[in-house]
Amino acid sequence: MEALTGEVRAINRALRALPDGASALVADPRGRHNLAVGLDADVRITLDGPAGYYTGGLGKRADLTVNGPVGWGVGENLMSGRIHVKGDASQSAAATAHGGLVIVDGDASLRAGISLKGGTLAVGGDVGAYCGFMAQAGTVLIGGDAGDGLGDSLYEAVIYVSGRIAGLGTDARVEDLTEDDVRKVRDLAKTCGFDHVDPENVTRVASARTLYHFSTQHHAAY
Amino acid sequence: MCGIVGLHLKDPALEPQLGALLSGMLAQVRERGPDSAGVGVYGPGGLAVRKGVGDPVALAEEFGLAGMRGHQAVGHTRMATESAITVEGSHPFSPRPGLCLVHNGSFANHATVRRALEAEGVVFDTDNDSEVAARFVAHRLDRGDDLDKALRLVCDVFDGFYTLLVTTDDEFAVVRDAVACKPAILAETPAWVAMVSEYRALVGLPGFAAARVFEPGPEEVCLWKR
Repeated sequence: MEALTGEVRAINRALRALPDGASALVADPRGRHNLAVGLDADVRITLDGPAGYYTGGLGKRADLTVNGPVGWGVGENLMSGRIHVKGDASQSAAATAHGGLVIVDGDASLRAGISLKGGTLAVGGDVGAYCGFMAQAGTVLIGGDAGDGLGDSLYEAVIYVSGRIAGLGTDARVEDLTEDDVRKVRDLAKTCGFDHVDPENVTRVASARTLYHFSTQHHAAY
Repeated sequence: MCGIVGLHLKDPALEPQLGALLSGMLAQVRERGPDSAGVGVYGPGGLAVRKGVGDPVALAEEFGLAGMRGHQAVGHTRMATESAITVEGSHPFSPRPGLCLVHNGSFANHATVRRALEAEGVVFDTDNDSEVAARFVAHRLDRGDDLDKALRLVCDVFDGFYTLLVTTDDEFAVVRDAVACKPAILAETPAWVAMVSEYRALVGLPGFAAARVFEPGPEEVCLWKR
């Protein structure tokens, strides 16, 4: 394993030069932004400490572990691969992620999974307000409690919550849990090591789809 | 943009280091506000406010920040959006003895609130939107509200984006707007409370590894009192 230190651009250049199968460790990231963005190889990267904004964003295939908390937008626009945060995440975790898996062992702040486009976000702890805002496709699993405005203006993404929900957002509703849901949550919780999640006792939140079309009844309001 | 840093000491043993600690924090929010900077330091002689135009790190040196001692300090680096880059438009705003307000964001209805305050006799120094929030808080304190109440009223009355750090001689408070889109990170240990716009600004604080780090929610007033 190669151990890297230095400026963000030099570190990112070195990470992107790694061949498939390689591993690297970034020592002492000190909360710097944009680390390990744009990876496109079957590599295993460890950031050994707190990282800043957009950690691992835009990545494909790579397996990234952060031994500490991360700032805004971890895994933003992730395409595939996996990011494992062994700490808390600030706002907008996995925003617009098209694919891949973002695991946050701790809590995630506001707007986790905003505009999710097919990726998977799993948070072991609590999430702040507006989780899943306008999420179009994909899955969010919350191992703890959810803040206010959960799933506001959801499209086709589905949110599973283990704990309490402070409040649902506009057009989000609680739906019955199907056997498929239970299977999906069991597999995901196992992958993430979330032993505290009981797949048969999560709450499924999805779109009521009342915002999908204009209603002639509300013509005056438009 | 704009960067905020603040440090509220609980352990008196750290008081001689206050300025040096804040100086290190301010340097980490330099990029968020390269236009101007200011600090408010609550020292043995009371609140001292220093402001200037230009690079925050050079200004901190000019202020002699690293040598200042005290129990609490705030710092701000400004990227001007609502009014000119001047010393007067720099933060902190201190319109009342002991009060400091620093702001990251922009208020949409500051002109309306300004007119309402002017009608009640409040006088302004600048055309800056953040000054309106500072005058509003000062006005509410003058009217007998406590700081917690005054900041809740800010949420009711003001429209726009804001993370505010507001301090008095013995209080340290943070509040954000309903959407909470401007950064605010709080950290607390038995020895201190810190608030920053940039996580990096916390890393150098003594005992940070054991700190409780969290982000205040929308319209949630977080307040510490000595």
